[in-house]
Order: sequence, then C-alpha cells, then structure tokens
Amino acid sequence: MSEMNGKYPEDMGLRDAPMIEGEHDYGTVTDKIGSIVLDRPSPRQWYIWGGIAGICLGSFLVSFCWLIYKGVGVWGINNPCGWGFDIINFVWWIGIGHAGTLISAILLLMRQRWRTSINRLAETMTLFAVCCAGLFPLLHTGRPWVAYWLVPYPNALAIWPQFRSPLVWDVFAVTTYLTVSALFWYVGLVPDLATLRDKAKHKLAKIGMGIMAMGWRGSAAHWHRYEAAYLALAGLSTPLVLSVHSIVSLDFAVSIVPGWHTTIFPPYFVAGAVFAGFAMVLLLVIPIRKWYGVADFVTMRHMDWMAKIMLATGLVVFYGYLMEMYYAWYSGNQFEIALASNRLSGDYKFWYYALIFCNGLAPQVLWSKRVRHSLTGLFVVSLIVSIGMWLERFVIIPVSLSHDFMPSAWGGYTPTIAFGDVMFFLGTFGIFLGGMVAFVRILPMIPMSEIKHLLHLEKHESHPAAQAETVA
Amino acid sequence: MHTSKQEPTIFGVIAEYSDGEAVLAAAQAARDAGFKKMDAYTPYMVEGLVDALGNKDDRVPRIVFICGLIGAGLGFLMQYWITGVDYPMNIGGRPNLSWPSYIPITFESGVLVAAFSAVVGMFGLNGLPRPHHPVFDAPGFDRATRDKFFLCIEAEDEGFDARLAKEVLLATKPDSIQEVPNL
Amino acid sequence: MPQIFSKKANYLARGSIVMTGVVFVLIVLISHNVTAYTHDLGVAFQQPAPFSHKHHVKELGIDCRYCHQSVEKGPFAGLPPTETCYTCHSQIWTNSPLLKVVRDSYTTNTPIEWNRVNNLPDFVYFDHSVHVAKGVSCYTCHGQVDQMNLLYKENAFEMIWCLRCHRNPEAQVRPKSEIFNPNYDYSQHETLGKQLVEQYGIKKEQLTNCWICHR
Repeated sequence: MSEMNGKYPEDMGLRDAPMIEGEHDYGTVTDKIGSIVLDRPSPRQWYIWGGIAGICLGSFLVSFCWLIYKGVGVWGINNPCGWGFDIINFVWWIGIGHAGTLISAILLLMRQRWRTSINRLAETMTLFAVCCAGLFPLLHTGRPWVAYWLVPYPNALAIWPQFRSPLVWDVFAVTTYLTVSALFWYVGLVPDLATLRDKAKHKLAKIGMGIMAMGWRGSAAHWHRYEAAYLALAGLSTPLVLSVHSIVSLDFAVSIVPGWHTTIFPPYFVAGAVFAGFAMVLLLVIPIRKWYGVADFVTMRHMDWMAKIMLATGLVVFYGYLMEMYYAWYSGNQFEIALASNRLSGDYKFWYYALIFCNGLAPQVLWSKRVRHSLTGLFVVSLIVSIGMWLERFVIIPVSLSHDFMPSAWGGYTPTIAFGDVMFFLGTFGIFLGGMVAFVRILPMIPMSEIKHLLHLEKHESHPAAQAETVA
Repeated sequence: MHTSKQEPTIFGVIAEYSDGEAVLAAAQAARDAGFKKMDAYTPYMVEGLVDALGNKDDRVPRIVFICGLIGAGLGFLMQYWITGVDYPMNIGGRPNLSWPSYIPITFESGVLVAAFSAVVGMFGLNGLPRPHHPVFDAPGFDRATRDKFFLCIEAEDEGFDARLAKEVLLATKPDSIQEVPNL
Repeated sequence: MPQIFSKKANYLARGSIVMTGVVFVLIVLISHNVTAYTHDLGVAFQQPAPFSHKHHVKELGIDCRYCHQSVEKGPFAGLPPTETCYTCHSQIWTNSPLLKVVRDSYTTNTPIEWNRVNNLPDFVYFDHSVHVAKGVSCYTCHGQVDQMNLLYKENAFEMIWCLRCHRNPEAQVRPKSEIFNPNYDYSQHETLGKQLVEQYGIKKEQLTNCWICHR
C-alpha cells in the first residue's frame, strides 16, 4: 500500500493546500465525476467488491430465511442475555450511520468547505448503515411482519405504543433519522442528477436521470429556495443526529442494569458514533479515491481533518471509559463496583482490554502528523477503531447482562456462528457493501454542483484556505 | 398558463455566459432596462442572482418553521391524547400527563414534519416536478447544468419586445444570444 | 437541446404524486372497513346438523341455560351433550333425516362435533360466569341469536369492541332478571345503568387494566 501514501512532504503545511487540486474548471469537474457513472468502465476493484458484497448478501439471505423460519432462538440470545449480537450490531451500525449527517449537516452549518467532497459518500454510507442497523431490532422483536404495530395508528386493539419507553423513542428516532437522511441525500442529488441527465448520451440514462431530477433546470429562483431548504434540512439534521444516538443510549441508561444506568451515556454514545462514523468514512474513502482517481477532490487535507475529528471524539470516548470506572468507585454502589471489577477481571476481560487498546490507545497515534498524512496509517487506525467500537457495545451489553444483581441469575453469552449471529452480521455487510457498490456505479459520488461552487469561491479568493481555517 | 390573449410565439430571449459574475451583471442590466419577467439558469447557486433578478422568495424557511412547530405540537398532543385521554394506563406510577417522557418523540415528530415541509415546500414552490419546460428547447441549454450560465428574458413580460431584449442582452457581452421557441 | 420529455410528462409527474396520495387514502379507508369481511361476520357456519337457534329460542321459548348449562357457573357456557337433545327428540321428529346425526351420536355414544362459531384467542382470559353475574346479557356479545336460523357471528371479538363495554359498562349491564331476555328494552336505561353498576359492585377503574383480560 506504499503507493497510497499522501503526496505531501511532512514540512508542507496543509493550511495552504487547496481544497481542490489539479487544474479544474466547471466542465472538467462534470466530466471527471459524471463519467464515472455514465461512460467509464468500472475498475477491477469494483467487480471484486461487488463479488464480496454478493457473497455477503447470500449469507444474509440464508441466515435471514433461517431466522424467519425458526425464530430468534437461532441467535445466541437467552436468559440472562436477552440482548446480544442483535443490539450490539444495531448500535454499531447506527453509530457508523452518524458520520454522514454530521459531515453533511453540522459541517455545512459551520461553513466547513472540506465537507463538500466527501458529504455524498458519507450520506450514502449513512443510509445503508441505518438500514443495516434498523434490521436488527426489527428482527429481534421475533415477529417482524407485525413491525407496523410500533407505529401509532388507530387499530382493532385500541392500544398504542408505550410512549414512556425509550425503545419506542428509538423507533421514532431511527425512522425519523432514516427518512430525514434520505430526504437530505436526495435533495442534494437533484442538481447532479440534472447534470447527468444533460450529459448522458444514452436515451435510457437520459430518461432515468431525468425522472429522478424532477425537471431541475438550475433556475436562479429555484436555487434560492433550494439553498434555503437545504440549509433548513441541515439545521434540522444537526440536533436530530445528536438526538438519535442519545436516544439509543437511553435504551440502556433508562434501565437500572449496572453499567448502563449512568448520565454520561448520551454524550459518550454520540461521541462514539462520530468516532466510528469517521473511521468508516475513511475506510471507504481511502480506497475509493484511488480506484476512481478522484484524489483531486478528496485531498490529503480532507484526510487530515477527518483524522483530527477522530482523535477528538476518540478522546471523549476514552474519557467515558475512565469515567465509568470512576463512577463505579465513587457511587459506592456494590453492584456498580462488582460490574467494574467484572469488566476488569471477569470472563470477558480480554475483550475489555482489547477495547481499551482499540479505542483508547491506538487512536493516540493520530497526534502524529506523519500518521495523519499516511493513508496506510489512517486506514489501519480506522480499522482498529471500527473493531474497537464494536467491542465497546459488546462490553456494554453482554458483560452487564450476564452479571447483574442476583448471582443465581448469572450466566454467559455465546453467539451462534453458522446460520446465526455471526453469519447474519456478515450478511449485513452485504447490504452495506452492495449498496455502496451500486451507489458508486449509478450515482455521482461527489456533489458536482457543490464542487463547482467551491471552485468558484476558491478562484475568487486570494487566501482560500486561510478563511476556511478560521472557523476550524 | 398564459393569460395573454394571443399565445406568444417565442418563450423568450436567452443569453449565454461563461461565469457567474457575467450573468449577475447581465441580470442587473436587464432589470435596469425595465424587464421583470426573467430567470437565470446556472450550474451552481450564484449568490445575489435572485436579488438582481427581483424574484427572491423567502417563504421556504417560514414554511419549515411553522410546519416544524405544527409537527412538534401534533406529536406532543398525540402522546398526550393517547396516554392521558384515550387509554390512560398506570406505567410505573407516572401521572397520565408525564410530559418529560414525551420530549423525544415531540422533537422527532417536529423534525420529521419540518423536513418533509422543507422538501415538499421547496419542490412545490419551484413548480417541480416539471420534466418539460420551454427553456429546455434553447440551443445549448444542456450546458446550463454543466458549465454555462444563462439569462432568459421571458416573452410574458409586459414590456417584452424581442428586439429590445436582444439589444439589452447584447450590451452585456454574452457568448451567444438565442430565441427560445415556445413549442 | 431537445426536450427529453413531452408536455404530457408534466401532467404525468404531478398526477403520479396525487395518485400516491389517493391510493394511500383508499388503503386507509378500505382497511378500516373490512372488519366484517376478515371476521366472516354474518356468515352462517356449516354444522353437522342444521340446528336453528331461531326455532328453539324464539318459536319454542327455550331458555339459553337449558342447553348452555354452565354459563352462570363456569368460564365456559358449555355445549349440550346429545342427551339434552334427546329430552325432546326421543319423542318428536324421531325419524327426521335432519336428526340422523343426533341419533347416530346417541346410539354410538360419540359427541356431535359442532363447529365453533364465536372464538376468542387463547391470550384472552374470558369467564362467562362473571359476565352473567354482573348483568351482561348473552345477546350483548352473541347478537340476536333468537333471530338466527343457522348461527353466525354478529360481532368481531376485537379488543376495541370489548373495550366499548369495559370503558362504559353502564350502557350495557341489565338487571338480573333480564339477562336472558332477547327483547330487553334499553330505552329507560340512563339512570338504571349507573345504579346497576353500583349495585353489582363493578370496579370501573379496573376494567381497562391489561391484566383484567390478559393474565
């Protein structure tokens, strides 16, 4: 992977680096990004990853059908661990699904120009990650075909969802998040779809893109309302994205299970979500920018900023781990203390130390500029962080559930592998990867109209980077 | 939606420019010349263009704000009606109107309705979806979403005169001037 | 640049949005009006022998409890053994071909397999005796059985339907003497209902608790 290393020598400050590299005008931006979809053949890696996604989708279908046929007993959940892989994976995927909206919405409101190149990719990743996440609680209910019972509608039973339960809040939060993210993503796509409609040569492509573009013609009056709506969506998504993982954390924090019942959960979950989300964005962006030759738009400057955000949120998460230990000691509550010692020296202690390594120690290398500017280094750190965030949910869920209050009710948790937990988890990668593979093939992965706007701004400002930096 | 008695034979006169500043200046010039019914077509949002054209419309944020409030209000009332009026139940000894636990869903429903209103309001006020529009017949208009900037003075304008419009636009040094047919 | 879509496409695009709304409204309207269909309300069930409640109840005036003996004492109203039929049919219509099933059952000592008409899911705890004891008439739930030739379901036993009475028992409870009366007159019921609820000691506030029916 040595050729993937960034092109900046260490002494060159990224501060002065342009947001878009190479010689580009509006036309070449359109050609470079649009032709990936319209006329360029897919790189070899596209087929490889499509194949991998296909295999994963196959394992998804098999384990899904088996689950529906047999019931949730095929998963490793049982008393006392009623939540296992399903909820771990739910929280993991939904955490990953936070980077997209964060990049799109919060960075837009903060007028961070570097969001422009990566926001589409991150938003798409969000959509598929949230779809994967949503599957788990839905199937965990045991009867997913009556999942519509979760929606309050007048029914023959005259009963309603229980609005005082965090699990119902979760339903609303996740569905709202998915809907708003999809709207945001689609609204962002419309001008680009119009560009592709006008660029396409093939009649079918013209019609297909034309239908999705809704007849967008770039009218100034339209642009004005468009920008207002887009900003409004960003403004709405910003608190939304924070609320979603807060509410996910309340699924735990509202209960009285030791290790869950703490007020630090919402901020610590949100930070963890951003942490995991950026790690996943990096995991996707680093190879894609190379395979598709879009390094002009996704520059080392972008990598550097993402790494810094990962470092910052990683520190918040690490603080959370330390605080959990402190809480246990300071509370004087015997159950909390027992849980803390169980984490440090119980059956699952290996996973706890692995978690501390992955999320607490490993990201510290991002302090080093050399690591932040090495694509290989970033890729490895992101991979470690992704694993670490999964371990975090593992440590939270089965470790607390297996040893709660009564020793007589203690137990263990073992996930099932074939046709069960592990196979299903792998299967959701099929949805995620398959979705991403399809996306880069049929939709523009970088927002062309926004890049053009950025190009315009960068051309007409004497110190483009300096201005963006003042906010950062 | 033509209100005039005779159907205009052309949709308007369109001029093509290569950058945002040029189309902005041209819009200002056309406005100064007295034209009101016109629109510009650009590949990205050019700031200040709606002010120059005089077709600024700031209703979307208001719609979003009002719909957001309505959504949140309805969300809260729904929960209150369900748990307090329609089927009160004793859940952990909480009162029927246990408003703190309604906050998350109140917020989510406000966001959901506001987001839909932003999208529906934006497309609705823009008159989209509209896959067919006369301006698409303008020669070379496919570059309006690529790298060209267009200004179109529409024939519906009260004081429209194709010759005058062309003169005004010619003074702004466009790359080309064309008539847009109204087919 | 030539147009990709014709002018008609504009109507199609907007029409499709309107149609989505119309279809949604239709689905809502339909799904709220199919209870009778999904529950087979008013559909006469095929039975081994064509037993007519109308004939036995209305025309002959036999009390419900003559056949459904345990309705006041136990959770189930009870189905009559063939011997109950034989109290009369050993004397009348002894050669009727319609009663062959009853005679066969009696001679071979095997019960008649009637098809259940009104069925309640297993997760609902229901006791006939308490309902009868607190003034709920047979006819309140089972409909005008005295008018039915072949028995059919008059009410869908959905929870929302049970709750109409559980939330407002005043409107339904009758005096003890009127429980088995098919022609009870509710017109004077306004004050009587309240009195009866008090007199029976019905604890209204408990009637909509989950555990009242789901135990």
